[in-house]
Amino acid sequence: MTQTGSIFRLEGVTRRYDDLTALDAIDFEAEQNEYISLLGPSGSGKTSLLRIIAGFEKPDQGRVWFQGQDITDLPAHERGIGFVFQNFALFPHLTVFENVAFGLRNNVDTVPGVEIEKRTRDAIEMVGLAGLEDRVPDQVSGGQKQRVALARTLVMQPKLVLLDEPLGALDANLRDRMQIELRAIRERLDVTFLHVTGSETEALAMGDTVAVLNAGKVIQSGTPDEIYDTPASPDVALFLNRFNIFDGTLKGGHFAGPFGDAPVATARQNAQDRYAIRYDRTQIFDPGAKLPGPALTARFRASEYLGSSIIFLFETEDHKTVEVDHHLSFGDPRDLTVDNEYVLSWDPAKAIVFGKEGSK
Amino acid sequence: MTIQTPAKEKTHTFRLLAPGVVWMILFLVAPIMMIVYVSFWTQTTFSINSTLTLDSWKNFFGSEAYVGALWTTVRLWLIVLALTFLIGYPAALYVGLLVKSKTVSTVLLVLCVIPFWTSFLIRVLAWRPMLGKEGAINILLQKAGIIDSPIEVLLFSELSVIIGMTQIYVVFMVGPIAFMLGRIDRNIIEAARDLGAGFGRIFWKIILPLSLPGVVVGAIFVSVMVLGEFATSGALSGRKVNLLGNIIVTQVGSLKWAMASVVGVILTILLGIVVAGFLRIVDLKREL
Repeated sequence: MTQTGSIFRLEGVTRRYDDLTALDAIDFEAEQNEYISLLGPSGSGKTSLLRIIAGFEKPDQGRVWFQGQDITDLPAHERGIGFVFQNFALFPHLTVFENVAFGLRNNVDTVPGVEIEKRTRDAIEMVGLAGLEDRVPDQVSGGQKQRVALARTLVMQPKLVLLDEPLGALDANLRDRMQIELRAIRERLDVTFLHVTGSETEALAMGDTVAVLNAGKVIQSGTPDEIYDTPASPDVALFLNRFNIFDGTLKGGHFAGPFGDAPVATARQNAQDRYAIRYDRTQIFDPGAKLPGPALTARFRASEYLGSSIIFLFETEDHKTVEVDHHLSFGDPRDLTVDNEYVLSWDPAKAIVFGKEGSK
Repeated sequence: MTIQTPAKEKTHTFRLLAPGVVWMILFLVAPIMMIVYVSFWTQTTFSINSTLTLDSWKNFFGSEAYVGALWTTVRLWLIVLALTFLIGYPAALYVGLLVKSKTVSTVLLVLCVIPFWTSFLIRVLAWRPMLGKEGAINILLQKAGIIDSPIEVLLFSELSVIIGMTQIYVVFMVGPIAFMLGRIDRNIIEAARDLGAGFGRIFWKIILPLSLPGVVVGAIFVSVMVLGEFATSGALSGRKVNLLGNIIVTQVGSLKWAMASVVGVILTILLGIVVAGFLRIVDLKREL
């Protein structure tokens, strides 16, 4: 059985730890040559999934396919899948050069010494570490360790590279730079990257495809804009961390929530009735002003200045926090008085509604 | 907060060091100097006086029995060291690395230490009923029909001393190695696997080098104890195996202080060389 176009495929992969089901019959297929980011909160099973694809763990049920072959029972060192560890896992007793050359030297296939030398130098150069070959991991910075880990994996020319929260251990500045570089390196090498992360901004920024994992299931996968604009379920909306989500009841094209009654054009099928409106589509009004839609009375509590925008935090009567994102390119923010009551409103057409009455 | 001047800091350092330094001078440096000094004293059959002479030293190196004891000591030390490593390393590998649960690994280490709940001498003497002509091993082998007559070489031979010492000291090898192995980041081993290395390669290239400081510490423990040994060889060799330690005991017993000091100095130098040699292999200060 061969497959075209897809690099790896998971078929009903299930993994349990005692009572805990970490992965619940996951089906997932990844196209060749793309950057996939796998977004999930901690405990969603994302690391388990990577470890199963890499071969460090076996699924309790299901099969793993890689380049058209069933590799479920193949040991990790025969799979040819790269893995970049969160803590880098460099060999502390070997120099940068020997760390990168390790795979070539100790692989099942013998690689001639001249080729080892050349490929290792190329890989070190590619990640911008030329000159540091003779240092040991303790003598390089966090960002450089990350590069060593990457070079060590890429020198083996894998077709699939798994990255387990690779930017988690780096500071914000470095993270942004590495994001760009990771994408550039991937494009140059024509490989598939599967990047696991708990950060929604990272997942959206990096992925050609974003898959959202929750409670051991892939709950949505698609391009970043698809995920961002049309989250398939309230959970996805929640992980994106860009939506105010309200409980209520959806009935006959209307949603009754804490903000009163709002007309609903279309709704998505979901077990609970939920109403989601993006932070940056929520607007602030004084009491009594003319509103574009539903009215949610809330007290202003605090604001957070993010440089290009300001996040205002409000508390509703039932003590729920509601966020409003005001982008500064839309004009100066309003002066709000802490603990005063304001009315939040939005264009109901922009809301995303989930409910039992929803279609698909 | 006051800023301390370097001079003040220096006196502080000195005060903190003083008790240790005084202790070491009184109970380590002074006695060693004394032993060196006494080794040059003049020994007559019934008395000793502090006239300096090289007689005891000449006596030692002129006697086949004494020099032989030196070589026996070195030989037994090397054999026991090799055996404790060969037996201890796989055990440590299991306890420190292969056992996944921390609890199980702690329980196993405690099991290793259980023999220490009885005294050293009992542990040594317990080998006699095991190895003797009518001991447990011979009886079992005879009952099983593997041998017709008891193996006599088992007890009161160099072999029995080696068996006894290996059993007693192997745990000092297991402990430090297991500790070092336990500190290896499991991700490193998985990374090596992911890069295509099989178990053998991972062992030689990753696990063994990273556990080397443990091996060195274990080897130092075992060496220090084996080189100074006299009880095991006394109890299990039937006086056939004489180590430097045994000579010190007999010389002291017959009040030959000068000769005992000569052997003591030689043993101390030997130990110094061995420990220094091991410390050259790894920089323990950096590794631990």
